[in-house]
Amino acid sequence: MTTDVDKHNLEKRRAHIKKRYKAERRFRSFGIAAVSFGLLCVVILFTDIIGKGMGAFRQTYVQMEMTFDANTLGITDANDQAQVKGANFGGLVKKNLRDAYPQYKTRKDKKALYGIVSSEIGLILRDDLLANPEKLGTTETIWLLADDDIDMHYKYALGTDKQVGRISELQKNIVDELHAAGKVEKRFNRLFFTNAASREPELAGIKGALMGSFLTLIVTLILSFPIGIATAIYLEEFAPKNKITDFIEVNINNLAAVPSIIFGLLGLAIFINFFGVPRSVPLVGGLVLALMTLPTIIISSRAAIKAVPPSIREAAYGMGASKMQTVTHHVLPLAMPGMLTGTIIGMAQALGETAPLLMIGMVAFIVDVPSSITDSATVLPVQIFLWADSPERAFIERTSAAIMVLLAFLIVMNSFAVWLRKKLERRW
Amino acid sequence: MNMSEHTQQNEHKTEGTPLLDDPRMSTRGVDVFYGDKQAIFNVDLDIGKNQVLAMIGPSGCGKSTFLRCLNRMNDTIDICKVTGSISLDGEDIYDRKIDVVELRARVGMVFQKPNPFPKSIYENVAYGPRIHGLVDHKVDLDEIVEKSLVRCGLWKEVRDRLDQPATGLSGGQQQRLCIARAIAINPEVVLMDEPCSALDPIATATVEELISELSERFTISIVTHSMQQAARVSQRTAYFHLGKLIEVGDTDQIFTNPTHQLTEEYITGRIG
Amino acid sequence: MSEKKTIIGTHISKQFDQELEDIRERVLQMGGLVEEQFGRVMTALMDGDADQAALVAAEDYKINQFEMEIDEECVLILARRQPTASDLRLVVAVTKCIRDLERIGDETERMARMIQNSIEIESPENYYKGFLAAGESIRKLLQSTLDCFARMDVMSAVKQMREAYIIDREFHSMTKQLVDRMKKDPESITSALDMMWATRCLEKVGDHCVNILENVVYSVKGQDVRHQHLDEVEETVKQS
Repeated sequence: MTTDVDKHNLEKRRAHIKKRYKAERRFRSFGIAAVSFGLLCVVILFTDIIGKGMGAFRQTYVQMEMTFDANTLGITDANDQAQVKGANFGGLVKKNLRDAYPQYKTRKDKKALYGIVSSEIGLILRDDLLANPEKLGTTETIWLLADDDIDMHYKYALGTDKQVGRISELQKNIVDELHAAGKVEKRFNRLFFTNAASREPELAGIKGALMGSFLTLIVTLILSFPIGIATAIYLEEFAPKNKITDFIEVNINNLAAVPSIIFGLLGLAIFINFFGVPRSVPLVGGLVLALMTLPTIIISSRAAIKAVPPSIREAAYGMGASKMQTVTHHVLPLAMPGMLTGTIIGMAQALGETAPLLMIGMVAFIVDVPSSITDSATVLPVQIFLWADSPERAFIERTSAAIMVLLAFLIVMNSFAVWLRKKLERRW
Repeated sequence: MNMSEHTQQNEHKTEGTPLLDDPRMSTRGVDVFYGDKQAIFNVDLDIGKNQVLAMIGPSGCGKSTFLRCLNRMNDTIDICKVTGSISLDGEDIYDRKIDVVELRARVGMVFQKPNPFPKSIYENVAYGPRIHGLVDHKVDLDEIVEKSLVRCGLWKEVRDRLDQPATGLSGGQQQRLCIARAIAINPEVVLMDEPCSALDPIATATVEELISELSERFTISIVTHSMQQAARVSQRTAYFHLGKLIEVGDTDQIFTNPTHQLTEEYITGRIG
Repeated sequence: MSEKKTIIGTHISKQFDQELEDIRERVLQMGGLVEEQFGRVMTALMDGDADQAALVAAEDYKINQFEMEIDEECVLILARRQPTASDLRLVVAVTKCIRDLERIGDETERMARMIQNSIEIESPENYYKGFLAAGESIRKLLQSTLDCFARMDVMSAVKQMREAYIIDREFHSMTKQLVDRMKKDPESITSALDMMWATRCLEKVGDHCVNILENVVYSVKGQDVRHQHLDEVEETVKQS
């Protein structure tokens, strides 16, 4: 009798085990599929961005004879800075180009010829002469920054029939000629890292945006880290548990979920319109981003404080430590890794934020590299947004390159967070 | 007058000898409330000098709560309210004049789970003297640390690794370190809340031995779930039941011939 | 007074209840055996049955075996349960009682051997009259003692202690009679000496009974009443 029942149960169990394993396998394959899909998307995104952006790190230069002719420049003394600054470098470049290619006579051809080099090349030459006044009147062979259309053509369409950028047949021929003579080459694009934004893609760099981001983040960090941690400590350790603190807690959690553009509106209304902080400056950007990151920092810091075992607090109280001593000697050191990680993640979030900054005018086109928190500036993600909007083919390249830089910073910051956690984390 | 009414309500008489001549600590009419719930009912109990007093009783009988009143650890719980009087050397410890920080330096505590700070062994023991400003020079601090560790029988085991994390010690060593940490500030009374419940039998034996040795210098009050432990280490035993102090007496008497029916039932394993 | 018995049966560990109940029952069985042996010796003397007396003497090993077994059980309980309070007192009392019972067994054996000798020498019957009477008193005492143990009845334990005290005094007169007889009839000295020893044995059985009764009081009241005046003992027992 019992054996029959046992046998029956055994069979049932076996059948059920099979079912269980099947369900397990199914679940695992779903998981693997989801992860694979995610990885695939990331790979596609990265290859696309890298593929598009890598080119921006190389820039085309053309070689030509350059005579610093005093007459063409219209100056007499290269040591007189005022004179040099007012000199006609544009004319100098044009004259040298005309001298190099005397065969192009028509107005149209000449214009195409001038378009070989960057339109702002005169400024570079001016800086060169200002630094080396003895060059006046001499002739030397120098590499000149090519125009963005030439750059595009040389990088992607050299020797083919493809039309990349606004480049004329004449220019194509010149490039071919230069290429045959070895007078054109790609170099590392230093300007991308040392220049601020520019209308000319070949001159446009991310330094201004990077500095803007840096200054903004400094302001954000200085404001949000101490305030966030102090708030977390107060709420977790000192605040009485009553309706008011509950209310505050709910609101902090809600703030973390508020769309970031709302913070931009808030910044516009309070900091700019009410307090009169100038627009477009890292100070106001930092203030707004600080407001935005505060909930993140508070929530993660509170979690870190909560994770400190109560036995440690008890031990400290039992030794006669005051509340403040308990917090500063024991709770804070143990919670610090968690707090720092939360802060870094908040900072990374702030670094990638665009929307609220649009509202406070950090979207302006700014040619100068900001040097203080009250200089007009833009930030990296906004710069990306601006470039992505530009029509020139060369800006697409730069957009991707800037995204790569931004991603690199985010990865560095997040790795730092992980490293910090590993380093500071203590077992108890 | 409200007080006496209250006592009437929960009238019961503690069997045995709760009161002593010349006690170190004494409590009179202590009631403890958690919010609306009363956890301790009208406890009169004296703790004798250089004696070990064991508190036993089923879980939730209030013995730990009562122990925590003795150094005002209950202050950290918002909803906890203590009435009646508790005095240390004749001074009411709930008096406004008494600073709780100073009180806890005089009445030290050792907890159920060994809870060394996640710092070095040295720092653990040195912490108390440091925060209470007991020493001016490092040499003095070194001496206190060594003396406390020697007293807890830990010195030989850790002398070569004082700068290593205390969390690397075994459970028994950690608990002895916690005791060393508590006695480093030279308290008058040491409260122990189930100090051996997380330890293996050998570590338990070393800690029990330590308790007996320490009782020569300190007044010790220990809460324990192990009746054998209470029988081994204490001179007096107090039995709590549902927040009431049922019986207090010499440990020898309590474990061979208790007076109260409830005590008898508890120690012979008839109620849990 | 049966209250005590029900208290044993209320441990959280039913196994422990069983173990305590077990040793208590074994003690009663052992007591029964001791009582039976004692009775058989007295009957043997009355009937002049030397073989019966020899048989009783030979069967003492059973009692010894009981003692060893119960002792072991008690040790196991101490090791396993670490009994406290009334349980501890019960176990300790049991270990002591079985020793007394075993001694009673030994005394019974000794008596049996001496009675065997006396019967073989064919002493006149009236020699045994006083002894038999005393023997009967002791048998009753033994019976009541075991009763007290079975019921853990302290009040009647005190009563039996008083009884034992009275019986004890009788032995003085018995000894005196035997001495007188030896003086009058030197030829009877050998058998009279045997009777003397047998009387000593009876007296010791009585003492062991008192020990058992004292242990009953200790087990129930937790008070050590050895070497106390009977009135004091009664005072103690009446408390609470």
